[in-house]
Amino acid sequence: MTPTAIRAEGLSFTYPASARPALDHVDVALPEGSFALALGPTGAGKSTLLRAVNGLVPHFTGGTFTGRVHVAGRDTLASAPRMLADVVAFVPQDPISSFVLDRVEDELAYGMENLGVDPGHMRRRVEEMLDLLDLVALRNRSVRTLSGGERQRVAIAAAMAAGPRILVLDEPTSQLDPQGAEHVMAALQRLVHDHGMTVLLAEHRLERVAGWVDVALGFDEGRVQVGAPADVIRSLAVGPPVARLGRLVGWSPVPLTVRDARNAAQSHAIGLPAAGNGHRTGDIVGALRGVTVAYGDAVALRDVDFGVREGEIVALMGRNGAGKSTLLRALAGVHAPASGEVRVLGRAPRPGVDVALCPQEPESVLFTDSVENEVRATLEARGLPDAAAPWLERLGVVEFASRHPRDLSAGQRLLVATAAIAATEAPLLLLDEPTRGLDPDAKQRLVRFLRAHAADGRGAVIATHDVELAASVATRVVMLAGGEVIADGDPAVVLGDSHVFAPQMTRVFGAGWLTPEQVAEAMA
Amino acid sequence: MRTGLHPGAWIAWASGAGMVAFVTTDPVYLLLLWALAWFVYATHRVPGPEARSFRLFLLAALITLGLRTGLVLLGTVNPSNVAFAFLEGLRLATILVVFGTFNAVTDPFGVVRLAPRRFHEPALAAALALSIAPRTVASVANVREAQRLRGIHVSPLRSLPALAVPVLEAGMEQAVTLAESMDARGHGRGRRSRYRAQSWSRPAAAIAASALTAAVVFLSASFGGWAVLHPPTSPLAWPETEPILLGAIALLALPGFVRGGQG
Repeated sequence: MTPTAIRAEGLSFTYPASARPALDHVDVALPEGSFALALGPTGAGKSTLLRAVNGLVPHFTGGTFTGRVHVAGRDTLASAPRMLADVVAFVPQDPISSFVLDRVEDELAYGMENLGVDPGHMRRRVEEMLDLLDLVALRNRSVRTLSGGERQRVAIAAAMAAGPRILVLDEPTSQLDPQGAEHVMAALQRLVHDHGMTVLLAEHRLERVAGWVDVALGFDEGRVQVGAPADVIRSLAVGPPVARLGRLVGWSPVPLTVRDARNAAQSHAIGLPAAGNGHRTGDIVGALRGVTVAYGDAVALRDVDFGVREGEIVALMGRNGAGKSTLLRALAGVHAPASGEVRVLGRAPRPGVDVALCPQEPESVLFTDSVENEVRATLEARGLPDAAAPWLERLGVVEFASRHPRDLSAGQRLLVATAAIAATEAPLLLLDEPTRGLDPDAKQRLVRFLRAHAADGRGAVIATHDVELAASVATRVVMLAGGEVIADGDPAVVLGDSHVFAPQMTRVFGAGWLTPEQVAEAMA
Repeated sequence: MRTGLHPGAWIAWASGAGMVAFVTTDPVYLLLLWALAWFVYATHRVPGPEARSFRLFLLAALITLGLRTGLVLLGTVNPSNVAFAFLEGLRLATILVVFGTFNAVTDPFGVVRLAPRRFHEPALAAALALSIAPRTVASVANVREAQRLRGIHVSPLRSLPALAVPVLEAGMEQAVTLAESMDARGHGRGRRSRYRAQSWSRPAAAIAASALTAAVVFLSASFGGWAVLHPPTSPLAWPETEPILLGAIALLALPGFVRGGQG
């Protein structure tokens, strides 16, 4: 019988000053060599369980902890996290603040130095990890100069380098482009299959992970059910787009992967999708003409022409570091281009007035003591009537109105920051990675909000790695590579033409099919 | 990576240049130190928060100079007093500029690696503390931009909370995450080994040797009295410059001729 890697027995945990338990009588046993996925809505206890595995809960958080957690046979209550560092490694959601050293290579070696690993062995392990996560070219860089996706890969390499038997990751692909996410999942699978490691990860974007894992932990208000991914996804009524389609058209079992869906779809004839998505657009709201932006010697945008019209939702896509954030910042008027012209409503952009941008780190936006006051601060600065409630409602954060933004999850904070930015009522709204950490419900609310925004005759540009978001909300997709626009057009065409950025429906049914709802309607 | 030179070379350079500034108030020598610190910084700087923190050190140096000189106004004001105060201020400011250069071109964690094993913990704490300055600078810039994007113009006086709260909260949160991460990665287990001890290259050794030579020359002048290191201010007189000392200072420019990658 395989020994148990992670065992939680009767585990309940309540954070200090919280009335509701974050985990409620949880029993989990993961055998060695499991590849496990924790899924469920924001705030259901996923992060808490992940952090209980290496003892950060309760050693760092305090709170009320009952029951037991054993990792590799060791009791987490009896050992501080540092004493578990040789058996379990943890990659937090936001890796930049978890980096201790400056240089990539040193960061990879840090954990091994603490464990007293022999220098020769350490050198070989670092080289292996550089290869495994494709970091060779970055080995001498400062971690602070890396893009979000690069940082994520460094954090994973640093965790794996110390040679733990168990690896725990909190949303490891949330900052990665689709290709980068596949690399990471493949690397994790290799660790599980070839080295017998146990991997436990939490993730909202099920389309990226559901096909890889062999066991799922479904979280619902502090309770956890463990089972085969298909069963858990079915019972939680969540899932990647193929599973949504399966539910809509009544397939049983509900497919989890593109391959499953393709097999299930063989008996269904489906024609060609209706051409065009039929939205109406108006005048140009914002435009870049021949814009070049450079950071020092590095050119981030090269001679870019770009425009967004009233009523449009443009999805800006491309791999990590392609220039998406730079384009948004140039359009928002906060990064002056080296050459070229930026126009919003026909004149130089006035940030916060004509154009508003929600940055990737919502934390830099939030500064008041409650969610409601956050929106009111914007309204006051803009001289608008003091009515915060409608904005909170639109983004679905009204239930947190009096809470401190600090006490919310990463995804909830992002929604609050988006509400605070959108409250400027700027006719051009720019969102940088607006779905990081959002659960499917929250994502649906964001989609509805964006549609209403566009229907009001305003324009929106979203920079995103989330192909399913682009497929469901974008009226146009612009693809960037190396600072240049390489594709610009209808989502059905641009996404349908891509291997990397094709949404699941395109993969199953071919170019032009974007969302499960669209396919289900055609099948009906 | 900021520079390929052995951190020991930078420690020697900063100690040498700092020592020179410490023992003289001669404006010729001190201004030469400013010039060559700038030259060294210009050769080895990398764009980013470190560059901004160098500017902060420069600003601090100028403020120090102004304050030290301004203190005279509280007492008797005459040319001698003002000149004396100015030269004292210039000495302090020069030391700050040298330290600012050191801070901008070295990786504090590279310096930590040189600490003997039993001093590793305090050295790491010091390095983390040093890295806070550039991080805070970056964080302030992010927050100002984010607030501007929703129409809140952050000026340090009018809307301090909009700037300070996110910066401080982010700082606190980062500190907690960092502490968790260090613990989770085995920090403080009591055993340590060292990854890839950097070896001394020839340019690095030459930089260290020349910096120490400069310090020794100035110290010998200071203790031996064979050259004037403090120009008389009462009565005021033009400083005399000693060719040997000028040569010693020139040695400190050596890092400016070595490109980072070659070390």
